[in-house]
Amino acid sequence: MQTPYEILGVETDARDDEIKQAYLQQVKNNPPDRNQQQFQIIHGAYSSIKDHKSRVSYDLFTLPTVNFNAVLERALKTEQTGTVNAEFLSKLLALDIDDNSLLKAFYSPDNT
Amino acid sequence: MSDIIIGIDLGTTNSEVAVVENGQVIVIADGEKKMLPSFVGVDDNGQIIIGETARNQYLVYPERTIKSIKRLMGQDTQIELAGQDYTPQEISAIILKRLKGLAENYLGQSVSKAVITVPAYFSDAQRQATREAGEIAGLEVVRMINEPTAAALAYDARQAESRHVLVYDLGGGTFDVSVVNIESGVVEVLSSHGDNQLGGDDFDQQIVLYLLEHIQDTYQVDVRQHSKAMARITRAAEQAKLLLSEAPYAQIEEEYLLEHEGVAIHLSHELSRMAYEEMIDDYINATLDAVHIALKGAMFTTSDIDEIILVGGSTRTPCIRERLLNEFGFEPHSEVDADLCVTMGAAIQAAMIAGQEVNTVLVDVTPYTYGTSAIGSLDGAPYPFMFVPIIHKNTVLPNRKSDAFATSYDGQDAVEITVYQGEDPDALNNVKIGEFRVEGLLDVASGNVITLTLGLDLNGILQVSAQEKDTGMEKSITIKNALSQFEGSSLQSAQQRINSLLGHMDPRVIEHESLAEKELPVAAEITTARELITKAEGLFEQVSREDQEDMVDLIETISNCIAAKDIQGLDAPIVELQDIIYYLES
Repeated sequence: MQTPYEILGVETDARDDEIKQAYLQQVKNNPPDRNQQQFQIIHGAYSSIKDHKSRVSYDLFTLPTVNFNAVLERALKTEQTGTVNAEFLSKLLALDIDDNSLLKAFYSPDNT
Repeated sequence: MSDIIIGIDLGTTNSEVAVVENGQVIVIADGEKKMLPSFVGVDDNGQIIIGETARNQYLVYPERTIKSIKRLMGQDTQIELAGQDYTPQEISAIILKRLKGLAENYLGQSVSKAVITVPAYFSDAQRQATREAGEIAGLEVVRMINEPTAAALAYDARQAESRHVLVYDLGGGTFDVSVVNIESGVVEVLSSHGDNQLGGDDFDQQIVLYLLEHIQDTYQVDVRQHSKAMARITRAAEQAKLLLSEAPYAQIEEEYLLEHEGVAIHLSHELSRMAYEEMIDDYINATLDAVHIALKGAMFTTSDIDEIILVGGSTRTPCIRERLLNEFGFEPHSEVDADLCVTMGAAIQAAMIAGQEVNTVLVDVTPYTYGTSAIGSLDGAPYPFMFVPIIHKNTVLPNRKSDAFATSYDGQDAVEITVYQGEDPDALNNVKIGEFRVEGLLDVASGNVITLTLGLDLNGILQVSAQEKDTGMEKSITIKNALSQFEGSSLQSAQQRINSLLGHMDPRVIEHESLAEKELPVAAEITTARELITKAEGLFEQVSREDQEDMVDLIETISNCIAAKDIQGLDAPIVELQDIIYYLES
């Protein structure tokens, strides 16, 4: 299963306008009138990552690799000061889902 | 080359056909004219006549001439033409057959496929009717594209930067507005709105009503009783409207309109542009409201729009330009041909489907929301017909969406599924476009899940299917015009009906066409000859007996040559007759 980024051939940190251009190029190469299914895949990919808001919800709801336990465990282990406590955890969980830093933590745990 | 697809604009007032040849869009002319008036009639000999001739006949024989058939498309109605009943599809099919013939004549090969444009705001039923008309005419409608979108396609789309274009399309019978993003060769429709019963015909009608009132006040006569007088008034109103696009006043003169109690009634009236614009003000306001709905659909304000394209003959009304200038702060584009750009766009799309290399790719949306009804709530109170939208307005085509529903009581073995088109939270206020029943459900407690899937294809035609989740049992329908039009009768019988129509209508139309085709290659000389004859006859009253006899002889020779298709034989008598006329006129 290709990710929307792969379908459109863009990097995961591509800007809105890059994504848009990639989409338009794909549409030109695969007009809906010639291949409806392929177009639907392209348009679906574009819709799911076209702007910040859609990328956040795509990352949150469709990323299959999110493993909350693993992420939390890592967060616990990498905490240098050893002051991980209930307060820290609840803070972590209470963060707005729209918050990028939390997303990043889920999305690329190695960078945390 | 065998798989050529033609592009057709089947308009309320005029229709056109175009093809792409060597990358160039060619609008195919009928003689001199690129626009075929969308009139169908039956002449004195019982032959079907189409276009200009039918339009001219409308004044004399309105009872056997049909105009603006497009306004009836998708309705369950029959139109009488010379004692026979026809569906709107059949009448449209006659026009399509003529366009098909024109294209075949031009291309020198038969044509069986077409892209036909429809107003963006055409409903499912109206689209289906258009497709049926194509089928009756022997044309496979490979795609229906929306008129404002077609216009945008015809517009140069190669520039790389994004431009937001508002297409304001006011035709004879329909109004559409689309907000389009044109960027890197892709025409992307962001939103569409419109009114499928608003157009230039309504403007004519306002003038007609005004004139009727004027005659009523002056002569105490109700012209409505006289179909010929009505046809003349309608024509006069249309002409006045056209004049008012150029001039501030239009003089309406119809002598001997009718006789009332032995008194001849003449219509002579001056109409000012100002008075006319007042009459149509409500309509113009309605179009501007639609413009704002479309802008909102694209999440734009007027300042986001870079350009405006005007499409359709009715946009020549000067106040439309003024109102748009006021709203947007700049003048609409005037390089686009308001009459022909829709056909041109259809031809471009046709070429692309046929596999030709084209510069522009189209991505369109649906202007309607589609959904079903379910038990729910309305204004906080329980309500059995709550509208549940499934495919939302301005969704990109093609599209497929599913929603899950559950049975409402234990042991429920069947569900009725009704599909609606509209925006109202109360399903009953929307347009019901189809219904079906899924039977033989599992005998289980309430909550048995039924998945309803709506698929909208590129033509804006809906496919509906329902599936019982646990068993996979599925039932599906394509919403066909026939379903809503002939209640109770099935899809198949509707198709049979159309097929049988095909059988009895074809020969008649073909007969007429082949006649027209034979005449086409020699049309120029013969037309000159005929014009000359008319001119000569017009001079009869003022010439000497001697000259008249000479002329009659020459006319006879010319007529014989025309009948025998003897083009060379025409030369000598034509020159002689021209000399006499020249001598008489100088």
